[in-house]
Amino acid sequence: MVFSSDARWEMVDEITRQTVTYGTYKQTLGAVLGDLTVKPLTGIPVAVAALYAFWSVFTSFAGELVTDGFMVKFFDGLWLPWFQAIWPDPGSWHYFLFIGNPAADTCFEAFGMLTSGLFVSVGVVLPAVFVFYLMMTLLEDSGYLPRLAVLMDTVLHRIGLHGYAIVPIILGLGCNVPAVTATRILETKKQRFIMMTLLAIFIPCGAQLGIMMSIIPDLIGVVILCLIIGFGIFGFVLNKIIPGENPEILVDVPPYNWPVKEYVIKKLWNRTKGFLKEAVPFVLLGILLVNLLYLGGVIQGLANLFEPVFVTWFGVPKETVGPLIAAFLRKDLAIAQLSIIPMTAYQMVASVVLVTIYFPCVATFVVMLREGWKELIAAIAVLFVVVFIYGGLIHAVGILLGVA
Amino acid sequence: MLTELSDLPFGATAIVREINTSAHDLNCMGLRIGKELKMITKQPIKGPVVVLIGELEIAMGLEIAGRIMVETGTDI
Amino acid sequence: MTGGKTEMAVLVPERGTTVLMIGNPNVGKSALFNRITGANAIVSNYPGTTVDFTSGTFIGGGRTYTIIDVPGTYSLDPRDAAEEVAVRMLRDYPDAVVMIVLDATKTDRGLYVALEVMERGMPCIVAVNMMDAAHEKKISLDIAALQRILGVPVVATTATSGEGVRDLADMLRKAKVADIGAIAQRMRGEEPEREPAFTCGGCGGCGGR
Ligand SMILES: Nc1nc2c(ncn2[C@@H]2O[C@H](COP(=O)(O)OP(=O)(O)OP(=O)(O)O)[C@@H](O)[C@H]2O)c(=O)[nH]1
Ligand SMILES: [Mg+2]
Repeated sequence: MVFSSDARWEMVDEITRQTVTYGTYKQTLGAVLGDLTVKPLTGIPVAVAALYAFWSVFTSFAGELVTDGFMVKFFDGLWLPWFQAIWPDPGSWHYFLFIGNPAADTCFEAFGMLTSGLFVSVGVVLPAVFVFYLMMTLLEDSGYLPRLAVLMDTVLHRIGLHGYAIVPIILGLGCNVPAVTATRILETKKQRFIMMTLLAIFIPCGAQLGIMMSIIPDLIGVVILCLIIGFGIFGFVLNKIIPGENPEILVDVPPYNWPVKEYVIKKLWNRTKGFLKEAVPFVLLGILLVNLLYLGGVIQGLANLFEPVFVTWFGVPKETVGPLIAAFLRKDLAIAQLSIIPMTAYQMVASVVLVTIYFPCVATFVVMLREGWKELIAAIAVLFVVVFIYGGLIHAVGILLGVA
Repeated sequence: MLTELSDLPFGATAIVREINTSAHDLNCMGLRIGKELKMITKQPIKGPVVVLIGELEIAMGLEIAGRIMVETGTDI
Repeated sequence: MTGGKTEMAVLVPERGTTVLMIGNPNVGKSALFNRITGANAIVSNYPGTTVDFTSGTFIGGGRTYTIIDVPGTYSLDPRDAAEEVAVRMLRDYPDAVVMIVLDATKTDRGLYVALEVMERGMPCIVAVNMMDAAHEKKISLDIAALQRILGVPVVATTATSGEGVRDLADMLRKAKVADIGAIAQRMRGEEPEREPAFTCGGCGGCGGR
C-alpha cells in the first residue's frame, strides 16, 4: 500500500501524538552557545577567533615544537649523517636514489628516498596533519560546521555554491579525497561540478599546508591569499558560464555536542593511520620517480622544453619542472623539492601556488573519476585554463608590484 | 497577520500557514504548515535565516524564507 | 561479535541477512553501525557525514549479517547525490532487512521516511537512538506503544554509550514486514481484524506485549 505524502504526515503526527510527550527543560549551555556562534554580530568574531586558535596551535605545536624542535634535529643531526656514512659508493646511482646528495647538510637538500622521503613525510608532514586532523575532528564533532555554513553562505552563494559547501572545503583542507566525495551533499550537478573543480585547483590539503608552513613560514600567508582570491574569481566565473541551478542553503543545524573522547581518538587514529599507509609510500615513490627521471635526463630535457612558458609566462625558474612532476604523486613532496631551488620570494610564492593549483594528486584524480568521467575531463580542461590564466595574472601583478 | 517568513523580525514567533516553494523538502526537515517557529538568526546582506521549530533548528536561504507565509499576532 | 569472513565462508547468504541502515541524517546511524559491527565508519555531528555506503559484519544467533551503513535521507525522493545513494541501496537490495534509525528528540521527522520504507514491504526493525539526549530534554517516548502501533520491533538505544545496542542486534532476526494498512487502521482507532502475532524478544521496555 502506498500513501500520499499528506496521508503519511497525518500518520506521523498521530503516531507522535500517541507516543511522545515533550516536557519543559532549561536551555542548556550548548543552546546559548549555539545562538552566539550563529548570530552575525557575535558569530563572525567567534569564527575569526576559532580560525586564529586553529592556526596558532597548528604552527606552534606542529611547526615549532615537533618539527623544528625534534624532527629537524633528529633527521639532520643523526639520520642523514649516519646514512651518508654507512651507504657505500657516494657516486653511484643507488646512492643517488636512496641517499641523494652526499654533501647535503639537511634532509631537504639530500633528496634521497630514505633521507628526504622519510623526513618530509614523517618529520614535517606527519606532525602537521596530526594537528590538522585533531582540529578538524573537533570542528566536525562539536556541531560547529553547520553554523559556519550559515555564516559563510552569503559569500559562497555568490559563486554558485551555498554555505554548506563549507563541509567539502574543510574536509579538503585535510585531504581532497574525502572532500570530493563529500560534494554529494550539494544539490545540483552544477554546484557539484563547481565545488569539485575548485577543490582540485585551489584547496591545498593538510600535508601541503604543513610543508609550506615549514619551508616558507613568512610567505605562506601570501600563498593562501593568492589561493583564496583565485577561488573567488574562478568560482564567480564558473558560476556565470556553467548552466544549471544554484539552490539556496537548506540545512539542519544540530545541537552542539561535547566531542566524545573515544570518537575523537578513534577518528584521529584512523586518519593518521590512513596518512601513513597512503601518503608515505607515495612520497617515497615520488622521490624514486623524480630521481630516476633525473638520472635519465628527462627532467633536464623537459625543463629546457618548458623554459619559455615557465620563465616568460609564469616568471619562475625552469627547474620548477621537476617538482611539478613530483606533484602528480604528492604535492607536499613537490613543495619540499621547491625549497632547494634558489629563488626570490616572488618566485617562491608563484611556484608554490602553481604546484598547488596545477593538477590534483593521483588519489584525488581517482576519486574524481569515480564521481563521473565527463565531469573529470571538464574539470581538467578548466584546470589548464585556470593555471595558465592565473599563473600569468600572478606574474603580471608581481611585475606591477616590482617584485617579479 | 500573514507575512513572509523573511520579514519576520529577529526573536519573533509565528505559525506557518503557506509554503510556496519546495514544500516537500521543507516538510521533511520539519517545517510544516501549522507548526510554530521562532526566528533566531538573520544574516546581513541577504544572508540566510535560521529558525527554531521545537527541537529543530533549520537554516535556509532568504528566498526560500520569502516563499513561506507565516501568521503573527496576539492570538497565538 | 565482529566476524572474520573466512570462518563463515561455508554459509550461503540467506534471505534477510543483509541489513540496510536507513534514517534521517545525523541520527547516529554510523555510530550504531560501528557499535554493532566494530567497524570504523566516520561519525560526525553534522548532517551528511556519510555520503557513500560502508558494509560490516555481525554474527548473532548463528547467522552472519552484512550490515550496510547508508547516507542519511529525509525521504525517498532524493534531494542530493548522497540521498540518491540511500534510495539506490534500497532498490539494489530488495531482500534486505531495513534497520530504521530514529532520533528520539526528532521522532516525527524520522517517522516519515520510516513509513515510506515500510510501504515498500521490506522487513523492518526500528532503533530509537539518542535516548540520552531525549532524557536530558525531558522528552519521553512510549517505546512499547510505538512497537504496538508499528507492529515491528522497536528498540531504544544510545549509540554513544552502547546502551540498547546489544538488544537491537539480537532483535535483527525478529524484523518483520510492517502492515501499513493495519497501522493506518490503528491510527483511526480501529483494531485491525488480525492482531499481528508479535512477541517481544525481551527488550524490557514493553511489558511483555
Ligand atoms: N547524545 C547522543 N549522541 C549521539 C548518539 N548517537 C550518535 N550521536 C552523535 O550524533 C552525531 C551523528 O552521528 P552519526 O553516527 O555520524 O550520524 P549518521 O546518522 O550516521 O549521520 P549521516 O551520516 O550524516 O547520515 C555524532 O556527533 C554522534 O556522536 C546517541 O545515542 N546519543
Ligand atoms: Mg553516517
